[in-house]
Parts: sequence; structure tokens; C-alpha cells
Amino acid sequence: MEKARVVIIRSERALAANGLPDPGSMLRMFRKGLEILTGSNQAEEALRQLFQPAENIGIKINTIGRRAISTYPEMAVTLGLWLGKTLGHEDKIIIWDRTNEELKEAGYKISRSVGSLRIMGTDSSGIGYTSQPVINRSVASLFSRIQAELVDSAISLALLKDHGIAGITGGMKNYFGAIHNPNKYHDSNCDPYLADLFEIDLIRKKHRLTILDALRVQYHRGPSYHPQWNEKTNQLIFGFDPVAVDAVGWKLIENLRAKKGLPTLSEERREPTYLQTAENLGLGLAHFDNIEIIEEEV
Amino acid sequence: MRRRDFLKGTAAGSGWLLTSNSLRTGQQRLLATEARTAAGLSRVEARYYDRLPDREIKCRLCPRFCQLGDKERGFCGVRENQNGKYYTLVYGQVASYNIDPIEKKPLFHFLPGAMAFSLATAGCNVACKFCQNWEISQMRPEQVQSRYLPPEAVAEAAARYNCPIVAYTYSEPVIFYEFMYDTSLETRKKGLRNAVITNGFINPEPLAELIKVVEAIKIDLKAFNQDFYTNYVRGQLKPVLDSIKQIASSKVWLEIVYLVIPTLNDKAEEIRQMARWLKTEIGPDYPLHFSRFQPMYLIKNLPPTPISTLERLRDIALEEGLHYVYLGNVPGHPGENTYCPNCGQVVIERYGYTIKKNSLSGNKCRHCHQIIPGVWS
Repeated sequence: MEKARVVIIRSERALAANGLPDPGSMLRMFRKGLEILTGSNQAEEALRQLFQPAENIGIKINTIGRRAISTYPEMAVTLGLWLGKTLGHEDKIIIWDRTNEELKEAGYKISRSVGSLRIMGTDSSGIGYTSQPVINRSVASLFSRIQAELVDSAISLALLKDHGIAGITGGMKNYFGAIHNPNKYHDSNCDPYLADLFEIDLIRKKHRLTILDALRVQYHRGPSYHPQWNEKTNQLIFGFDPVAVDAVGWKLIENLRAKKGLPTLSEERREPTYLQTAENLGLGLAHFDNIEIIEEEV
Repeated sequence: MRRRDFLKGTAAGSGWLLTSNSLRTGQQRLLATEARTAAGLSRVEARYYDRLPDREIKCRLCPRFCQLGDKERGFCGVRENQNGKYYTLVYGQVASYNIDPIEKKPLFHFLPGAMAFSLATAGCNVACKFCQNWEISQMRPEQVQSRYLPPEAVAEAAARYNCPIVAYTYSEPVIFYEFMYDTSLETRKKGLRNAVITNGFINPEPLAELIKVVEAIKIDLKAFNQDFYTNYVRGQLKPVLDSIKQIASSKVWLEIVYLVIPTLNDKAEEIRQMARWLKTEIGPDYPLHFSRFQPMYLIKNLPPTPISTLERLRDIALEEGLHYVYLGNVPGHPGENTYCPNCGQVVIERYGYTIKKNSLSGNKCRHCHQIIPGVWS
């Protein structure tokens, strides 16, 4: 079996003096991550291999935690602009989440202008959700029309966090923001719902890349922001395998918890079992024996 | 009352504008025309929750006991933890309202022929795969059109249109508990009565308080086994049975509806067990309605319930000693009528939601003077 490759890029300069991501450092981290992940020595060429010029690309971010604990605009916009510049169509890049209100509160400026990067919520005028539920195993949901209709391929640019029910929230759970009823799928550690959702073609076939934002990690009492359990790690985690990336994120959270003397997620009965379920569905690899982890500093 | 009068009167006489293009036929649902954003949702502190350390809360309204961090919502999707305080987002946020005959609920022994001002907000604390109102019940409040109708507005509208009843229905009123409770107080001030159409998935403490302010409750008993509740409802049977017993021990009028879905919950033996349980636990006099299933939402692969199945299940329930067993969604069927359990004569003849003949004399059978339990006036 071929191992899933996951790349961890660290940078001591990832966060600027004001505590926010430094766009230059972000770009360097994105480029290095893509190069190692693809085995290319030219990140832009790797991007062009990954995405077709005519494609509309969604960057799904997570802004439920507003400014305190959301995907940083400084990070998402840097990625969006780089993609747009590299692929030649800035307005084919859509940074999005559930609502414009959450986006704005997280620091984003809503933009639907022709010719520029688009940033918008599913509740934008004329967007909304599909009209009929998509059904797969345990899940039946309406999809954001951004994910279902506007984008051809997707990047999950997710914040890595401890999660009081799921165990961790990362690249896979980020797609809960693409459906109308995530509140229905938090029973039993979100298992099997998370895997069943990801298996739906609208996600599985469009998902190309996960980038986990682990610059600061909420390793306990997440997904809410609690500064006493929020640690700076200056890392971004890259992978094509959505299960493997989240598995590596889980390991990072467990390491932070162990360092702070906290019980493991298993001991707290919230181990992210959905990762094994996802592997069972053929969505990726959850076991470290099957994951090749490459770490690099920039 | 004519539809035109309803629309004209409401628009002219109140601050809550109902417009003609908000009327939807078929489901007889009125939808508000004014869209709302997340910012327009209510922010009224919820009842029945505990504050936990680190800004977490635990909801005690229904048997799910959702434990939520900051910014998270419960399973119902309409109650949210905001910085350690729990809020209902749907107080007065009416997503659907209409004037229905009370027989549509169905409540057959509660003011027959009366009209009920019926309303709902978005949200539900279960997820039935056969839900007929999923377009509001399975939505979060910001995903549906709604309008602001506070309790006093509901009471005023109901009184204005000669509705002696306000019915909390369509989605699941448990999840808009605070709004329902306060509205019930307002409607009582005007001499109106309150009917709750619910799945019964509520904890004993809030139910005990609700019972004090409403006059009738209809419970949808989805099946008589936990597997069905797990696989098709995402709920639990036992709390529903507990609710039935709790209501029956109060002064509130109770009726029970059982939607019969072919092959899923139509086993004769299970129905027999259910009938026995009802007779033993609450007695034979609370009406039981067997409703006909129509394919919808996530269960479109099954046919409508055969009439013969409904008739067979009704016969079983009658054999087990229940006095008032009805068939629903079968207009014109004799199983819609109320029969005196003593003399067997028809005391209320119905066609669909219409009363064709009422032969009650007060609360008694006109033929043999047997008392027919219910709220008749």
C-alpha cells in the first residue's frame, strides 16, 4: 500500500509581531508545503498540475469562532491571491463559509466583484442551499450552492482544534459548514456522520487539498477559544489525503495535551473515531503506519 | 371565515402584516414574505439549562441534554450558547402559520369543528426520515423565511379571526418552548385555549410547567420500539412514553397519533403491545389515530399505507379495549367517526376535517347517555 504523504511546515516568523499571520511567511509556507507534497521544485507548477485554469476553486474556511479563533484572513486571502495569480483568474477563487456575518466578524471583507477574489457566505443573496437533500448512508443534507454548484474543486483550509464532541476538528469536519444541518450530526463523536458526509461526491470528488492551520492550536475545551489552552506551534499541515492530514492533526493535539498533563481524547471518550470510519469507506488512511510525515522549517 | 377576510383583516388591523402572496395552498401553509438574516434572529435567554465551567452549557429541555461550547447550537439548531449564556433564536420568529380546523392536527375530542390559529418556528429535536414539514423542521432559523409575531400578536390575531384555539404545530414546539409558553399565557388572557402538537420528546420538568398553561396535547408516537426511534427518528421511545403518562395524569386533554409506515412500523403484534400499554398505563379513553403514510422527504421508496393495513391495526386496538381508535388521511372512511363505546352509535360523523353531524348531547351520547370523554365546549 502506498503511504499517504503529509507535510508539516514550520516557520518561526509565521506570526508577525501583532500576533497575526505574516503574509510573506504564509506564502513561503504554502510554496514549500506544495513543493514537498508534490515532489516538485516549483510550487506554481505544482499548483497548475493540481488545478485546471478554467476551474472555479473554493477555499472553505472556518469562521464560526469569529476573530478569536477562525481561519485567519491574512492566511486565506494570501492563499487565494496566490492561486488566482498563478492560475490566471483571480475571480475564479472563492473564499467562503456559512454566513457573511461570521465572515465579517472573523475579519473578512465580503467581495463578489468581477475580476477580483470572491469572499462570501452561503447566505449571500442568490446563493443559499440546494433544494433537495443529498442522501448518503446516515446523512441527508442540503448543500451550500457554493460547494455544490459554484466551485469545481475545493481546498479545505481548516483551523485545527480540539472538539468537545468529535475529538478534533480539522479538514474533514470543516465541510460541516457546507451543509444546512450540521447540528444533526454531532451525536456519537460525529461518527459515522463526518465520514458519510465526506463520501458524498459533492465533497469527495471536488476535494483536492487539505491545509490545516496549526499556527495556534486550541488543544483543550475546543472548539471555543480559551487562551489558557491555546498554544502557538507555527505550523501548517498539508496533504492530499483528507484522513491522513486530520490524523496527523489529532496526533499534534494529543502531544500538546500530554505536554500539559491533560488526559488523552480516548480517556475523555471523544477519540475521533470518524477517522477510522473514513478509512473503512476508502476515503483515506488513518493509521500512522501508513502515513509518511515530512517536516520542514522555512 | 373567508380567506379574503383573514388576509384583509390582519393586514389592516395589526402591526403584523400578512400579505396575499404569503399564502401557500396544498399544505395550507402561510409563509412570511420578509426574509430574515442571522442578525434578525431573536436573542431571548432560554429556560432549562445549566451553566458549566469554561462557558459551556448543558440544555435540560429535552432528553438529548446537549452540552455545548461557546457559539454552538443544540441538535434542534435553534438554541445557541453565546458566551456561556443560552439563547433561543426563534422566540416570536414564526416560519409558518395558518388557520386550520382542529381536526387537521388531529384532535377529535377537543372542541370539534373549531378553528386553530396554527404556527411554527424552524427547528426540531428529532430528525424523522418521513417528516412532512422538513422544509421548516429540519432547518436552522436563518435558513427559512420568518416574521416576527410576538406572543401578544399571536393572541390578538387568533382572537381577531375567531380562532378559539392556538395550536403549536408543524415543526416541533418543544424547541420553541419559551415562545409557546409565553404565548399560551397571552392567549389565555383572551379566553382562548392552547393545543400542542408534539413528538413528546421533552423532559418531565419543562413538560410539567407546560401542562399548566395549555389545554390539549397531541403526541406523535412514531413506533413502539426503540430500533425505529434510532433508525428513523434519531430519538428515544421511553421519554415519549413517559410524557404520555405524565400528560394523562394531568388535566390536559391528550390524543395520540401513530403514522403507519408500510413494513417499518406496521407489525400487528407491536400494535397490539402498544394498545395494551396504552390501556394499562393511561386507560382506554384517550383517542388513538392511525394515520396513513404518504411517501415524502427521505422515504420515497415505500407506497402509501394500504387502507386494509390501517383497518387491521384499528381492529387490533379496538380488540385490546381502546374505546376511540381513528383512521387519518383517509377521507370518508368510517374510521373517521366517533362511535359510542356503549351503544355503538355514531356520535360524531366526519369527512376529512369536516364535521358532518354531531350527535353529542353535552358530553354524552345522545342515544344512550354514555359519557364521551373530551373537551367539547
